[in-house]
Amino acid sequence: MAHSMAAKAEYNYDIIKRFAAMAMVWGVLGMFVGFYAASELAFPFLNFDSQYITFGRLRPVHTTLVIFGFGGSALFATSYYIVQRTCQARLHGDGMANFTFWGWQVSVALGVMSYMLGYTQAREYAEFEWPIDLLITVTWVIYLYVFVMTIRKRSQPHIYVANWFFIAFILATALLHVFNNLAMPVSLMGMKSYSLFSGVQDAMTQWWYGHNAVGFFLTAAFLGMMYYFVPKQAGRPIYSYRLSVIHFWALVFLYMWVGGHHLHWTALPDWTSTLAATFSIILLMPSWGGMINGIMTMSGAWDKLRTDPIMRFLIVSLSFYGMSTFEGPMMALKSVNALSHYTDWTIGHVHSGALGWVAMVSFGSFYHMVPKLYNTKMYSEKLIFTHFWLATIGIVLYITAMWTSGIGQGLILRAFDSYGNLAYTFVESVSYLHGPYVTRAIGGFLFVTGAAIMAYNLYMTAKQGKREAAEAAAAAA
Amino acid sequence: MKHDKIEKNLGLLMLFTMVVISIGGLVEIVPLFHINDTIEKVDGVRPYTPLELRGRDIYQREGCYLCHSQMIRPFRDEALRYGHYSLAAESKYDHPFQWGSKRTGPDLARVGGKYSNEWQVQHLKAPRSVVPESIMPNYPWLLENDLDFSDMADRMRALKKVGVPYSESKAEYEANVKEFGQDVAEMLDIQKAQENLIKQAQTGNYDGDATRITEMEAMVAYLQMLGTLVDFSQYDEGHFVQFR
Amino acid sequence: MLLKLSAAYGKGNDLIGEIFNWLGDMRNSKILALLIFFVGFVILLVFVFTGKERSKRLESYKHMPFLDDDDEQKSSTTVKKDE
Repeated sequence: MAHSMAAKAEYNYDIIKRFAAMAMVWGVLGMFVGFYAASELAFPFLNFDSQYITFGRLRPVHTTLVIFGFGGSALFATSYYIVQRTCQARLHGDGMANFTFWGWQVSVALGVMSYMLGYTQAREYAEFEWPIDLLITVTWVIYLYVFVMTIRKRSQPHIYVANWFFIAFILATALLHVFNNLAMPVSLMGMKSYSLFSGVQDAMTQWWYGHNAVGFFLTAAFLGMMYYFVPKQAGRPIYSYRLSVIHFWALVFLYMWVGGHHLHWTALPDWTSTLAATFSIILLMPSWGGMINGIMTMSGAWDKLRTDPIMRFLIVSLSFYGMSTFEGPMMALKSVNALSHYTDWTIGHVHSGALGWVAMVSFGSFYHMVPKLYNTKMYSEKLIFTHFWLATIGIVLYITAMWTSGIGQGLILRAFDSYGNLAYTFVESVSYLHGPYVTRAIGGFLFVTGAAIMAYNLYMTAKQGKREAAEAAAAAA
Repeated sequence: MKHDKIEKNLGLLMLFTMVVISIGGLVEIVPLFHINDTIEKVDGVRPYTPLELRGRDIYQREGCYLCHSQMIRPFRDEALRYGHYSLAAESKYDHPFQWGSKRTGPDLARVGGKYSNEWQVQHLKAPRSVVPESIMPNYPWLLENDLDFSDMADRMRALKKVGVPYSESKAEYEANVKEFGQDVAEMLDIQKAQENLIKQAQTGNYDGDATRITEMEAMVAYLQMLGTLVDFSQYDEGHFVQFR
Repeated sequence: MLLKLSAAYGKGNDLIGEIFNWLGDMRNSKILALLIFFVGFVILLVFVFTGKERSKRLESYKHMPFLDDDDEQKSSTTVKKDE
């Protein structure tokens, strides 16, 4: 291959470094806000009677920072890295790539500030008010353009499967974002707007968006990450390329049908939620196909798990992916959902996906990618191990606490005494939640501590890389 | 169609992906806009009055929907705790819907009239002073802030554009009289938005302070009407089952 | 829109109108869409997993992430051991 140093020097690594840095900034900040909001539920005095930091305003700050700030920036970084390295072509248009950076960071920053000031569309995971939505739309279209134009410059006729997942992610996110945010501004000078749809239609549109944000933003795109970084870190190709082709089409088709399972037993027509439940069950198959494909890539090299902490992050992330894609369809069953809906079980499920899968696969990928960006090695391997254990223990605490509180609350609220009256008042279920909420906050604290250690480790790695480059330049001169 | 064509042709890959991801949404959402029985015909459901609408805006601003649902499911425990299960019609003027997804606190779909205004004010100001085990934040600023209703008409106009029958012309007003009756139609008149808001605040005096109109006024007015519009006693038991 | 369209055709009482009418009913088109996609999926499965040459070609793509690797060590350890 004629792609040695000369070709690599042409890759646009600057944009990746910037996105990676911001991913860590938003990640640590967003996880800390999550920890704080969790603590507010355990100890309500922490709201301090301040309107800017009540749970209701901080929760969208947390979700936006971790999903769009951390997750989004991590996806920009890794997708720009993967598309360049699998196409062996420089990213198209430096100016446009820079625009996607600023457009995205400004959107996230404005978004979280506006929520604290009380501007929100009151749609979960789509709280951005309309002016920010417009900025996001423009940024996203440019992202698509940059990505597509880079693929068009590829050196091979075939497009590597990781890029398929990124393409599906970009297209689906565009579709979801536009339709779910259709709204009528009160005035062109103000932030406030009212959604175009109402009631049942609005609920279905929102959860079609909400679930597919999980499906395409938090799953498909991170699978793109997985299909590149797991083989690279393992030093061996993906287990089965043909399975990845099937995985792609099945996943992309099935996800869009399942949003209705967020609305079981509501005023949504029965057929819609039954259809959604059915598809949710079928979705288990491609999900597990993908998981097996990732994990089997390691077959014959399992010993690496003992020595390579990065590989541990990646394999644990795949295990959590498998677990939450099993738990999800189970919770989509109408009988299970009757208990689990409206409780913390849902919160626990989201976090086993978000912390276990999304965050862990990003951590692993970053530990692989950042040293390569700076042409050096990770600053400290010990700290990666420390991070791994903090993160894993944090997740386990978090999830078990939420199972306890979710299933417990569900059972308390549906309990009857021997006379057929309700056995408990609502507030008794709230008292019950205290213990699990404290445990959950501790789990979250461990997780954010791990992320902060990672940020430090990556920062030192970048510094070390710059120093080595300067030394090499001096020696050459 | 050969799959290797798709693998190698970016345009085809994008086209196929787009077709495949569109189909699920189309099948699930589009019918909801056409099928007549998605939303049942029920007497009593009406758009929000100006004061209630401002209360609803504040409900959204504070993120109440993140801990309180407004969607009662058809289970025995929920019927005993909250009342009749929610109907699609009851949220047909909700832009956006506020069904919620989490009950850290109880469902609020039928909270209207369950507690006195005084209780609501005290509970919003300092929840633990009335429910010691509560973990809800205090909202003291709702009593401190005067309600801003300078753009009341603009808000109603925006909602009118998305289909809520607030009236601007004489003909629209007449149509509302026919649909909702004289008293309600009066409240839906955009021309009289501010006037109506002040009138309702003064008559209701929801925040217990007759000298001012606070954000608390609007919030409590909204909470007190939630779930009260449909008179379930006038329907047979099981009447609504046909719409599920 | 599709429904209105089909309703307009339906009045014609001709065969095309009939077909549109039938398609316009979501109960039918839903199942039809599912059938089409299921058949498509089976074709994809057969396509992907049959044919020796094709299998070989498809599996060869899995080496793509390693194409620009020649200046890196083949080992996966990008980690410096703490001394």
